[in-house]
Amino acid sequence: MDSRQIKSAPLVLGIGSFAVILLVWESAVRLGWVNAFFVSQPSAIAASLAHAARDGELWHNVSVSFREFAIGYGLSVVVGILGGALAGRFRIVEYALNPFLWFLYSAPLIAFYPIFVLWFGLGAPTVIAMTFLLSVTQIFATTLSGVQNVNPGLIRAARSFGACERDLMWKVVLPASVPMVIAGLRLGIGRALMGVVVGELFGATAGLGYSISYYGALLKTTDMIASLVVVIVLGVLCTQGLSAVEARFDSWRVGE
Amino acid sequence: MEFMLSNRRIWISTLSVVAFLGVWEIAPRAGLVDRAFTSQPSHVIAAGLEIIRTRTFLNDVYVSLLEFAIGFALSMAIGVPMGLILGRFPMVRYLLDPPIMAIYATPHLALLPIIVVWLGIGMQSKIAVAFVGGVIPILVNTMAGVRGVERSWILAARSFCAGELEVFAKVILPASLPSVILGIRLGLSRAVLGVVVGEMYQSQAGVGNEIMRYGSEFRTDYLLFEVLLVSLFGLAATSAVRTLEEKLWTAGR
Repeated sequence: MDSRQIKSAPLVLGIGSFAVILLVWESAVRLGWVNAFFVSQPSAIAASLAHAARDGELWHNVSVSFREFAIGYGLSVVVGILGGALAGRFRIVEYALNPFLWFLYSAPLIAFYPIFVLWFGLGAPTVIAMTFLLSVTQIFATTLSGVQNVNPGLIRAARSFGACERDLMWKVVLPASVPMVIAGLRLGIGRALMGVVVGELFGATAGLGYSISYYGALLKTTDMIASLVVVIVLGVLCTQGLSAVEARFDSWRVGE
Repeated sequence: MEFMLSNRRIWISTLSVVAFLGVWEIAPRAGLVDRAFTSQPSHVIAAGLEIIRTRTFLNDVYVSLLEFAIGFALSMAIGVPMGLILGRFPMVRYLLDPPIMAIYATPHLALLPIIVVWLGIGMQSKIAVAFVGGVIPILVNTMAGVRGVERSWILAARSFCAGELEVFAKVILPASLPSVILGIRLGLSRAVLGVVVGEMYQSQAGVGNEIMRYGSEFRTDYLLFEVLLVSLFGLAATSAVRTLEEKLWTAGR
């Protein structure tokens, strides 16, 4: 095998495995080995997606979910980075917030959903709150550890050249912790997506998660899997996108 | 000095938790917030004492624990060997990596409705959700651990005439153990979440079922007690694995 073949092997086999899955799935249903009621079939799902795209239902659901995601995740990025940076610089903030962070990190936050409904009502605000809470802990924790692990030599050097606390923050600490922060943003996206979809499963009137649970309740497997496919594709796109950003900022990593 | 520092940490953390509980207790009493929305620590404790005495409580805990135990045991039993195989054989990895990564990027709880259609509203569907939640991080981290094993160790073992099986058992397995444990810790919290949310979605018993019931009756005190219970369980289990993890890391150094 020459080197070009080795390089293309993952791609070819990867695409091949998806093709095989789709083929086996489709033919198993056609040949009557499995019941289409339970597993649907790729061709029917594609038809359902095309139909949903044509009558605008797909765009509506995607835009509702995306708006909730953007607001909830955006808020958690701002709060998580600011809070994490503060807690990383000031021990007292870290110690004061730590117990709550631990609790939020290990608590099944989705179980708070009934309380959120009580506070914010059914619909977008509840979903946004859940998205925010799920991703903010991740971003906060990663930023905190990024700021704390900034090479102390760099800080001492800046101090000895007369940097004040604000200069230190903006010119040394934050740039040095960028790679960690971005790793946190990537992990946060996964949790934010979870927040949107699960929030909508339970307490929403529109969106992708809502349509999954709506069609699920009607036992319309094809339409349900179609929405699921959209969620999977969006999830992969978001994670891949952030991984690409992460790779770009990798050169910011400061050696020890 | 070290002692002083950790002492200060405990003081500040305790103080902030006490302050939080104090505000939470006093604010409804002073009429600043509506008690129905926020409840109060004293009410949550009272609700907890009442819940523990109910006849169904032990059964709910038992059902949830059983679902978690079976689902998570399955995800370890399948995730670790699969991860070892995928890490060791590149061809298998190239073949299975894309679907696995797609599932990894998907919020696993989005699969709840379809799993309920397949397996019904009984325990099987929660076991399945816990399994799906747990298996992927375990698999992915095991795979990463195997791939990260120092090549020179494998070569050294080979040059001392170790067979493929021996290399696997005596070099690769021990060297990748820390990342296997890391995967288990990450999978654990996802499995706990899977059981609870699965029960919240559709079920007949279990802690999640109770959470949903109290939620729909807007009995905030009761709801909070159940949520606290699950959180403490998650926290305890994760801390236990973390302790194990730290021991292994220090042993490996």
